[in-house]
Amino acid sequence: MSTVPTRGLDPAASSSPARGSAPTAGVPTGGGLAAGVPTGGGLAAGPPTGGGLAAGVPTGGGLAGAVASEWTKLWSVRSVWWALLAGFLLMAATAAQLAIYVQNSNTSVDPTDDRGVVALGRIAIDSVEPTQFAVLAMAMLVITAEYSSGTIRATLQWTPSRGHVILAKTIVVAGVTFVLGVLLGALGTLVAAPILGDWGRYEPTETLGDVLGVGAYLALISVFTLGVGAALRGAVATLTSVFLVLTVVPATLGLTNVTFVQRIADAMPGTAGLHFLRGDTDPYPPPVGLLLLTTWAALALLSGHTVLHRRDA
Amino acid sequence: MITLTGLTKRFGASTAVDHLSLDIAPGRVTGFLGPNGAGKSTTMRMILGLDRPTAGTALVGGRPYASLRHPLRHVGALLDAKAVHPGRTARAHLRAMAHSNGIPVRRVDEVLATVGLTGVAGKRAGTFSLGMGQRLGIAGALLGDPGVLMFDEPVNGLDPDGVRWIRQLMRSLAAEGRTVFVSSHLMSEMQLTADQLVVIGRGRLIVDAPIAEVIAGSSRTVVRVRSPQPAGLAALRDRLAARSVTVEPGDADELLVSGADVALVGDLAHDLGVRLHELSTREASLEQAYLELTADSLEYSGPATSPATGPATSPATGPATGRATSPATVTATSPAIGPDPQERA
Repeated sequence: MSTVPTRGLDPAASSSPARGSAPTAGVPTGGGLAAGVPTGGGLAAGPPTGGGLAAGVPTGGGLAGAVASEWTKLWSVRSVWWALLAGFLLMAATAAQLAIYVQNSNTSVDPTDDRGVVALGRIAIDSVEPTQFAVLAMAMLVITAEYSSGTIRATLQWTPSRGHVILAKTIVVAGVTFVLGVLLGALGTLVAAPILGDWGRYEPTETLGDVLGVGAYLALISVFTLGVGAALRGAVATLTSVFLVLTVVPATLGLTNVTFVQRIADAMPGTAGLHFLRGDTDPYPPPVGLLLLTTWAALALLSGHTVLHRRDA
Repeated sequence: MITLTGLTKRFGASTAVDHLSLDIAPGRVTGFLGPNGAGKSTTMRMILGLDRPTAGTALVGGRPYASLRHPLRHVGALLDAKAVHPGRTARAHLRAMAHSNGIPVRRVDEVLATVGLTGVAGKRAGTFSLGMGQRLGIAGALLGDPGVLMFDEPVNGLDPDGVRWIRQLMRSLAAEGRTVFVSSHLMSEMQLTADQLVVIGRGRLIVDAPIAEVIAGSSRTVVRVRSPQPAGLAALRDRLAARSVTVEPGDADELLVSGADVALVGDLAHDLGVRLHELSTREASLEQAYLELTADSLEYSGPATSPATGPATSPATGPATGRATSPATVTATSPAIGPDPQERA
């Protein structure tokens, strides 16, 4: 709540004759362009056509306002809906494919192929790797579209605090991608269940944990992408970097036999996230994986904030 | 009220804005002029906290813009009409804007009606013409009912009706006691709109004065004296020259005096007993006064440019001097400047 009186908003100020009317006053509207031009009389003498904002002490704004604004912006462009659709399709297709693999392996003549009974959530988790890029594209657009369309200048005009802008975007991206991740996890589980039949294991607590884990992983990796996007500003640079960090670099490093290099690969955000999701105990327990991923996300955000703060918009 | 104190912005070795100190007062329209690259947009961006000043301060109502909790309720600005996501509808853009500053959402439809965009509120901004984009930007500037308004080239792309509408809007906003700060390249438009004139060149303040004063101060503003007495006219010329006033001979029976007003010339004529058939002030246009003021500070000038040229040469040395030097630019911008049929839709 701001208590600073503002011209035109402070009740006392707006009661003065000079400032009593809204900006619409004197510019009658409606009926096309020509009617927008005041007809006769003094400009200031026209009847007010709207209440303006004259009444009441201003509320809202700040971080909560920035979050509401980011939320509105997110859902008002089509690319977000396409990314969502792509995410659901990728998850359904990948989960079905992986479930069919398991089914085929378990029913083939070669017993060494057998994978036995598989947790349903595990299918969803294994499907996250390709699916995540649809989600990351959405998270990335929240910041890179601002630079490509020039709206970053508008956003900073609305919310001059760089910290609030980054934090609001983080809150919206994390919230949306967490819920989206949970829905995607549930979808993968639901798709896998009928295909696996008796080969699928459903335990409410375990499956719920897996599904929530997918939500947490996608939320953190999306925030990581948001931070990288804020630091690099461009969509191509961001997507390339994130793709390299998530898949190419750890895969390349993992090819070597040098333990130290493999440790580095294990510490990369994507690898850490998957270790967490799969509940691996080697090379570190799942909470460490979660912690590593969170650290990566925080560092990316910090660098994004630094760039936004230092550079002119 | 906008207060600039020693405002300076350097980009590497070049100085875009150089120790600019200025008060932009409420209740009147202040025109902001300068050649291309003079630092107008950079100044406006620093007022809005988009660019960080190298030195000095820019305050709005005594406070830095970035410290305002509801900045849109204090300052409405149209800097770049293209700063709208092309895939977002006009209404969604303004709703997001309203949410950010706790502005009631009903206000969105009010400002859309004010700028005449109600019919296309649900259309994506990417489909808008230049003029419609300008109107959407102005709707955004009005959204928070702010006491300070800044417009960077607001009539860009508007048809004549739109230009007149903007002029009257700005006049009415100033009449309501608001601070209106507007940059433009269109001198004739400024002459009709602005009360106060701020001219900068190469980032430095050249003039901050009422518009009438700027025009009166131009050497192109002359007093015309006609007399049927050639000897008397010659005597008058000598008396004026003695006061180091510039006198140019016009036609056989006239003198063109710059640097003195009609009162002085009339008094001198009376003292000399010269009969006069005409004693009148011929005012310079704002364009002439402006070109004279900025002649030394053109950042991008063409070879054909000569300072203080009158209307006779204006096609080559019009207000948008930089544009005349590049035919490609002229081609690129001119279709957008004419009346836009889409706008009527």
